[in-house]
Amino acid sequence: MDVSVGPQHPGSGHVRLLMRVDGDYIVSIDPDIGYVHRGCEKIAEYRTAVSNIPHLERPCIIDAIHLNWGYVLPIEELQGVVVPPRGQYISTIAAEMNRIMSHLYWLAINAGVFSGHTTIFMYGFGDRDLFIELMEMLTGARLTYSFLPPGGPRRDLPAEFQKRLTQLLDYFERRLVEYDRIFFSNPLVIARAKGIGVLKREEAIRLGVTGPVLRGSGVKYDVRKVEPYGAYSELEFDVPTFEEGDSYARFMVRFEEMKQSIRIIRQALEKLPKGPIARKAPLIIPEGEAIGRVESSRGELVYLVAGDNSDKPSRVKIMNGSFRNLVAMPYLVRNVHIADMPIIYGGLDYWPVEADR
Amino acid sequence: MASQSPSKAEDLVNTLKTRFPDAVKGSKVEGPRRILITFDKNTFLDIAAFVRDGLGFDHVKGIAGIDEPTHKLIKVLYFTGSFSKTEVEDVILVLETELDRGNPVIASAVSVWPSAHFHERETFEMFGVKFEGHPDLRKLLTLDNWDGPPPMLKDIKFPEMGQR
Repeated sequence: MDVSVGPQHPGSGHVRLLMRVDGDYIVSIDPDIGYVHRGCEKIAEYRTAVSNIPHLERPCIIDAIHLNWGYVLPIEELQGVVVPPRGQYISTIAAEMNRIMSHLYWLAINAGVFSGHTTIFMYGFGDRDLFIELMEMLTGARLTYSFLPPGGPRRDLPAEFQKRLTQLLDYFERRLVEYDRIFFSNPLVIARAKGIGVLKREEAIRLGVTGPVLRGSGVKYDVRKVEPYGAYSELEFDVPTFEEGDSYARFMVRFEEMKQSIRIIRQALEKLPKGPIARKAPLIIPEGEAIGRVESSRGELVYLVAGDNSDKPSRVKIMNGSFRNLVAMPYLVRNVHIADMPIIYGGLDYWPVEADR
Repeated sequence: MASQSPSKAEDLVNTLKTRFPDAVKGSKVEGPRRILITFDKNTFLDIAAFVRDGLGFDHVKGIAGIDEPTHKLIKVLYFTGSFSKTEVEDVILVLETELDRGNPVIASAVSVWPSAHFHERETFEMFGVKFEGHPDLRKLLTLDNWDGPPPMLKDIKFPEMGQR
């Protein structure tokens, strides 16, 4: 029998999963995506380099800094603009705050709600809002920041920001202990997620998945390490990996990544250099093609930007984590119970709008 | 940015050129982590298999089409990378080929890189590129009732969005 899950919001956005089921088992699955396709790449050709920034953040508003930063890196490379050190540090702080917020969103919805754990849903969303408030203090917006135009961030850290962020990190570190107690070490969560949706290391490499999904299968690959951008080459942090490759391993990767983000922000605040935050960048994109990449919350995010000496890009190509991890979905969701599907889907942290663009 | 010598990238280019003297038409090394190889599309699967097995580039990060109506071309770019070979894990190797705009056909890379599956479907839909041998070449992102030409081609214009 064929069952259609969605497209009315089966979880994190509009997507339809066509499942062929035999009794309680899913035989195969065909992801039918595109319900939130907006032609971002086409629209980008009509907008100027700078007015593209608010536009290109929209595919994943909960991860806006990374979508913005990845787009700006190739433009800066074509223009030959170098962001001053203080600007790099501020961008890094904003990006890591965004990673925590994105992982908290995942924890609340894709892990909490999908496994029927209402407490972690409330906890995750509540704590995420504290980070949102600080981001609003820094950038002026709660979610869609447009904080990094070519040349460097728009604003310096406001007064009191460092103090409040440090206080928040102290608080959040205590909360993570609580999260561990009620969710990650919870026997019910372990029973539901452990051994479910196993993606072996070789398969993860073969399918080309990325981000926490890849690291949950034991591949230590993180753009912040292999091609450091921002201030990452000067900061110490680990890349958490787990060998098991199941949904629980992907849960744990994101949990550990939040701890590493705290570590990165603390160091960046401490080492924050003095000086200008940004340089003036030209408004045109010079002729040529450049590739930039960042480690977004959903994995490696690669942008190709082609310019033709006008103020509009002639081509923008977005290669994001959600679209790359999609290939793992039909592979993982087969010969499993219907009840396990949400746990596998949640473990992938698939964001339909980002994949559809 | 340059933490290692650019010679590693040049080594990779030379290996490819020696192995495929006729098929590799051009190369560009843009910094230590960016390589662009232009190749003849008829030998694509041989080159792809060698890039995977010989050089260690085990996955496709994405496939980009670029429409160039003035040259009557559609360029297809395969962005490949490596997870399993640490020496080249920081390199993005771009394989670029030029297809005839009137009839863009190329062999599908899914047999070499299963990670290319959805990227090829997207490029088929957006640029009309036919990937021969793809197991499931269907529309992916556009609406079911969209029966116009591939929307990313440059001659498909949307004047209500402004000048281009």
